[in-house]
Amino acid sequence: MAHADVDDLAALVIEPADVPDPVRRHVGACSRCSATVEALTATRGALGADPLVAPPPDLRARVMAEALGRPTAAATETGTAETPSAPVPLASRRRGVPVWLASAAAVLALVAGLGVGRMSVGEPEAAPVEPEPTGSVLAATSLTALDSDAPRGAVEAVNDADDVVTVSVRATELGDEPGFHEVWLINVDGERMVALGILARSDNGTFEVPRRLIEEGYRIVDISVEPDDGDPTHSGVSLARGELV
Amino acid sequence: MTVVGLPARTRPRYGVAVVGGAAVLEEAPEESVEALAVRFRAGHEEALGEVYDRWASLVHSYALRALQDTHDAEDVTQQVFVAAWQSRDKMTPGPHTFPAWLIGIARHKISDARAARARDVRRIEAVAAVTPSDEVVGTEDVMEPDRLVVRQAVDEMGEPRRTIMLLAFWQDLTHVDIAATTGLPLGTVKSHLRRGLTQLHHTLEEVRHGSR
Repeated sequence: MAHADVDDLAALVIEPADVPDPVRRHVGACSRCSATVEALTATRGALGADPLVAPPPDLRARVMAEALGRPTAAATETGTAETPSAPVPLASRRRGVPVWLASAAAVLALVAGLGVGRMSVGEPEAAPVEPEPTGSVLAATSLTALDSDAPRGAVEAVNDADDVVTVSVRATELGDEPGFHEVWLINVDGERMVALGILARSDNGTFEVPRRLIEEGYRIVDISVEPDDGDPTHSGVSLARGELV
Repeated sequence: MTVVGLPARTRPRYGVAVVGGAAVLEEAPEESVEALAVRFRAGHEEALGEVYDRWASLVHSYALRALQDTHDAEDVTQQVFVAAWQSRDKMTPGPHTFPAWLIGIARHKISDARAARARDVRRIEAVAAVTPSDEVVGTEDVMEPDRLVVRQAVDEMGEPRRTIMLLAFWQDLTHVDIAATTGLPLGTVKSHLRRGLTQLHHTLEEVRHGSR
């Protein structure tokens, strides 16, 4: 007969009683099929291991830092498992700025713009009392261009009901570059970002955001110009930025 | 507050163009491991993150079981991925490149870690005049990497196969009990088990082949 079906051979390993006699007789006489049964039996023997154990979360940053040759404050001798890995200084991160960032100029702009964004002063919270009353300003920032500290408007995050924050973007002078303007929240960890939506009504827009997101560090407001190319990710061309504080 | 750049593009991307207004965005198909390997070899930095995310647990579990020490296991895990990145031009991209290759590197790093321990023991011995115990160096279960690769493969199986496999081979339920637990016909349960075992057999063969 032809070689046995591998599923039948697997059945022979799992529950021999299910396997018809002709298959068994064949396996007894066929070195290839009996070798497969042997391998399946070994595979069966490899079942039952405990679940894999993930390394601590901060190891990833250490690996990336060492492999990509970037200094990181987290690369200390002792594992500080409790503290999240410190953000990598921007200067050393520049190598890591994705290649999809449009141009070298954009990279430089990013550096300059972020420095400004950091310095921009938001309105301090009146009184950090929990729960925050509806309508109070949770955080705010001015927006600036990335290649200069030219003002590009402002953003205000206002507490709404049900742990929702309303982010109001009032941008100015975003320029005429073709494409639409999309608003993003970048996490201060530099790893994550979410799209809030498109500025459809001139350069103003209001977006509802779960308060949790802001608390998790999605605080850098970024406005990009997006070509209509079907690619849902950030174009890499940022027109304005500011960090909610 | 430290400023940050734009996040690197590390998440899986939509594999197909979005067509037609009524088209439903299906779950993005997972990029093939081979394509990931090609990007990794070419030095795309985000590929390192993806490889780490997918196989760090495998490498870490292997190191942890071999060394029985969390600190050493983390060190070895870090060394493995750094070494993998640095020697990426020696890797041959294939659909099963990573587990075998990473485990191969891990084997060396674990052996280095044990050698370092043995040196420490000898150093202590010289001071305290104690004899090193064999236990310190330890012996590796040659099946261990296979077992971990299989465990990851089962965890990555689609449902209901994953649950059926776990119930059968981890909980040792009978096929009849599994059918009762899952509400699936007995024949379906048996068929999933056979195909699941066959699938794992192929995975191991390919991983072994990839390690040559």
